[in-house]
Amino acid sequence: MSDPPAVCSHEVGCITCGDTAVELVAERVDEDRGLALCADPEGRRETVEIGLVEPVRPGDRLLVHAATALAKVDAA
Amino acid sequence: MRFVDEFRDPELGRALAAEIASLAEPGRHYKVMEVCGGHTHSIYKYGIDDLLPDSVELVHGPGCPVCVIPMGRVDDGIAIARRPEVIFTCFGDMMRVPGSEGSLLDAKAAGADVRMVYSPLDALRIAKQNPEREVVFFAIGFETTAPSTALTLGRAKAEGVPNFSCVCNHVTIVPPLRALLESPDLRLDGFIGPGHVSTVVGARPFEFIPADYGKPVVISGFEPLDVLQSIQMILQQLVDDRCQVENQYRRVVPYDGNLRALEVMAEVFQLRPHFEWRGLGFISQSALRLSEAYADLDAERRFDVPGVRVADPKACQCGEVLKGVIKPWECKVFGTACTPERPIGTCMVSPEGACAAYYNYGRLAREREVV
Repeated sequence: MSDPPAVCSHEVGCITCGDTAVELVAERVDEDRGLALCADPEGRRETVEIGLVEPVRPGDRLLVHAATALAKVDAA
Repeated sequence: MRFVDEFRDPELGRALAAEIASLAEPGRHYKVMEVCGGHTHSIYKYGIDDLLPDSVELVHGPGCPVCVIPMGRVDDGIAIARRPEVIFTCFGDMMRVPGSEGSLLDAKAAGADVRMVYSPLDALRIAKQNPEREVVFFAIGFETTAPSTALTLGRAKAEGVPNFSCVCNHVTIVPPLRALLESPDLRLDGFIGPGHVSTVVGARPFEFIPADYGKPVVISGFEPLDVLQSIQMILQQLVDDRCQVENQYRRVVPYDGNLRALEVMAEVFQLRPHFEWRGLGFISQSALRLSEAYADLDAERRFDVPGVRVADPKACQCGEVLKGVIKPWECKVFGTACTPERPIGTCMVSPEGACAAYYNYGRLAREREVV
């Protein structure tokens, strides 16, 4: 089952207002700016603040809310 | 395979539900509050309540960020949004929250430049792209969202973006929980703790609930098996005569939270002495404003706002819903005068609001049949 995309919409409901966080995978990391390009399992990409969970490496799984990574996901 | 699939296995779900049923003491009725609106949404989206025995009742808590915004704060936002020099930015659901004379979406229809953003970072980007306009971000949310606002304000300050400011409506989760626990008309047996808030604050701030009020707390994830396992853990504590904070969502929630996020928040924000919560009234030290170091980015200081307290509509019973005293369908206007398309109360606005969750997942028809 596919989840709806991580969107903020007054029509289908806003995941940010809803206190929802999504799991994204870091693809490219810009350490100087504290940002990472991340993707969801469907390949949708967004720029994410990583200052709260650094260091981040490509392939890390991040829990993201309002374009900010709040935690690294430990799949163990 | 998606990572979430393993948390949605129907057979494991049924096994957990059977375990919950076996733990429930015959003749006893259990009331468990899910604090977070995200859990409310999951419970109705996946039909988790249908799997539970009749003796285990889930009560919806106050943890929906949109639901707790009072009408007066919406009016303050609209007053700023109507200024011709302002681009007003906010999250999607916030645009539909009714103020005393309509919502931000109505203000947009009337000509105000109100724009939806997914993150505070988007609002800052708009400010950089429009240096001749004042760009105001209307910040809402619990500790989940506050770090994002704090980081963005830090960026705005460091990069010197003079046309960016913020109306801060961030709230904190512990004070309303304490207020609920002091409420004489609500009897609860345990709490499903807010998973995403806890990624920031950790599990430790909830220790007062078992210590002072003798109720178990289990910090929970949001997938169906997370919620079912958390309910099972609460009942197991009751059976074992234990009472403590447990962390079911250990894959992302450290017991002490995200210390860097807490540091950033402490630098950018300070506690307000009082803040009005929709339906719950004024609660001391329950919300955040910008600290003195960030005063020049505070839209409430940059612009005149009415700052008037506006009473909720008489027909609206969001307060009782937020306190878990009544079910959404017991509200007089639920599904008739108040719908997601035309909400009267905030609980009908966001999909995480208890009323909208009931409405959107077909609870209206089922509950009415029961009556």
